[in-house]
Amino acid sequence: MSDHSETAVLADEPVPPPTEASEIAAEELEEGSSLWRDAWQRLRRNKLALASLFIFLAICLFCVAGPWFSPYNADAQDLFLGAVGPSWAHPFGTDTLGRDLMVRVMEGGRISLLVGLVATMVALLIGVMYGAVAGYLGGKVDSAMMRFVDLLYALPFTIFVILLMVAFGRSLWLIFVAIGAIEWLTTARIVRSGVLGLKKQEFVEAANSLGFSHMRIIVRHLIPNVLGPVIVVATLTVPAVMLLEAFLSFLGLGVQPPDASWGVLINEGQQNMEIFPWMLIFPAFFFALTLFCLNFLGDGLRDALDPKSAKD
Amino acid sequence: MSDFLVLDDLKTHFDLGNKAFSRQSKGVVKAVDGISLTVQEGEILGLVGESGCGKSTLGRTILQLIKPTSGRVILEGRELNALPEKELRKARIDFQMIFQDPYASLNPRMTVMDTLGEAVRTRHPELKGEALRARIAELMRTVGMNPAQMRRYPHEFSGGQRQRVAIARALAPEPKLIIADEPVSALDVSIQSQILNLLKDLTRKMGLTMIFISHDLSVVRYIADRIAVMYLGKIIELGSAEDIVDDPLHIYTRALMSAIPRPDPRLERSRSRIVLEGDPPSPMNPPSGCNFWPRSPVQHDDYMKSHEPVFEEIVPGHYAANCPFCLQKQS
Repeated sequence: MSDHSETAVLADEPVPPPTEASEIAAEELEEGSSLWRDAWQRLRRNKLALASLFIFLAICLFCVAGPWFSPYNADAQDLFLGAVGPSWAHPFGTDTLGRDLMVRVMEGGRISLLVGLVATMVALLIGVMYGAVAGYLGGKVDSAMMRFVDLLYALPFTIFVILLMVAFGRSLWLIFVAIGAIEWLTTARIVRSGVLGLKKQEFVEAANSLGFSHMRIIVRHLIPNVLGPVIVVATLTVPAVMLLEAFLSFLGLGVQPPDASWGVLINEGQQNMEIFPWMLIFPAFFFALTLFCLNFLGDGLRDALDPKSAKD
Repeated sequence: MSDFLVLDDLKTHFDLGNKAFSRQSKGVVKAVDGISLTVQEGEILGLVGESGCGKSTLGRTILQLIKPTSGRVILEGRELNALPEKELRKARIDFQMIFQDPYASLNPRMTVMDTLGEAVRTRHPELKGEALRARIAELMRTVGMNPAQMRRYPHEFSGGQRQRVAIARALAPEPKLIIADEPVSALDVSIQSQILNLLKDLTRKMGLTMIFISHDLSVVRYIADRIAVMYLGKIIELGSAEDIVDDPLHIYTRALMSAIPRPDPRLERSRSRIVLEGDPPSPMNPPSGCNFWPRSPVQHDDYMKSHEPVFEEIVPGHYAANCPFCLQKQS
């Protein structure tokens, strides 16, 4: 070790002769491959997850754009027509009030998906920030914050929602709030445990020694590194939220007629399923298909973002 | 020349907290226990010792990443430990750290450009776009990397290259003091020499002051001007690299030196080893008196157990803990 010559090679790779700094144009730079892009490459090889992604996007497109191309209005009743089975005029049939079921499935899907996505976004925003702050600060603050989470976990969800409905009246926004207020707990726990592990790593210490503020360290250095599991949880939270909404609507606590969600439609269909089975089959099919897709996608994302956890 | 960095009776103790359901403390780990030291501008001070002796804690305490329990850290006349949080944050660009594990010290979600750009902008917040990129490219060339790779992520580099990025990040804020905490011990031996040479060259060229922490005496003697030997939270010997290597005073340093294998087989055969017995005692409950007595291979008596040696200048420029049993004049 003691007799190194000063001529020892300094570089692992030959370094090009120094050029004028301004000559380095952005286009000449080698493109790095981020961990996100690597994950996408892995996801693309997972046929089931990829198919699920496309089917899910197709369902979203169908629900969002569909009503614009339909001649029927979701609220327009045709009492003389009543409930008729699937036909060329009404591909999914009509309900007991003569409303076109295809448009109602689309409209219901809009609301179900909106609830699923918005409530999940709300849950993520709260959960990520809350969990990251708790994990980063640690100690007594962390304990206090996580006991509050435990407390909310213990609260029976249905009673919580009924109380909210009684106190503030029924509205779609309240459903977002109610579901979001419950679903962020899991995210917060995951993010907290991730941050607890990460904050001892040296790159966080390095950020500290550069004099960055706590907020900057949390937002720029910690959160991007826990987003992997968070994205998986998010894809699995969307179907869970949609199920909750369907459950609330089924109980009559959620979306109110004449507005429809898949939960409302399934409820109506279930009341008539012996006479007019199509009223149950179509909304239930779309609902189940969406849930399947999101679950497969979540599984695929988990394998893609954390290759070590893949089974094969 | 005025003193660049002064450590004045620096102590870092970790309280392990109370036992469950009681007010009784589980104990205090005295990781750094009363260290006074002066570092001159432009010198490389090697800090050696066994694992667990408090070297890394000392490094982090100097940088205020861990707050000292007592004592002072004075960098260019500024008392760092007394700075309020906000000013300390601004002052941090003057002293940077290079970490041991290049796999943990870079944010895996940030490109080299992001990592270095962020560090450059601590000193030059006005730099943007082209100018910032030029500065990053310059830094990468300084540490021997190809600037065309600045868009890459840490996982696309080898350990040695990552350590170069980490060195570039430490240099980016244009610091005056760098603490390198075992910067080569996680690297392949063939890469170690490259990184050591790089650090040595950079320190000289940029007029940096460096504290180089390592458990490996052969690495330290190659890079350091002076060497401080640490044992159980205290410095037991300090002197020029030649003095420590060729004429160590303390029996502990001599034991460390005798553990280095010689490349020459004839010398290797004649190498006499001083073997220390046992593990270093727990810093929670350090031995009384000269804390080296439980492991001392020489004859000793109760005097050693009861008298704490004074750290003083034995030979001009060569300091040691003055314990009559540990110090033996070399022939």
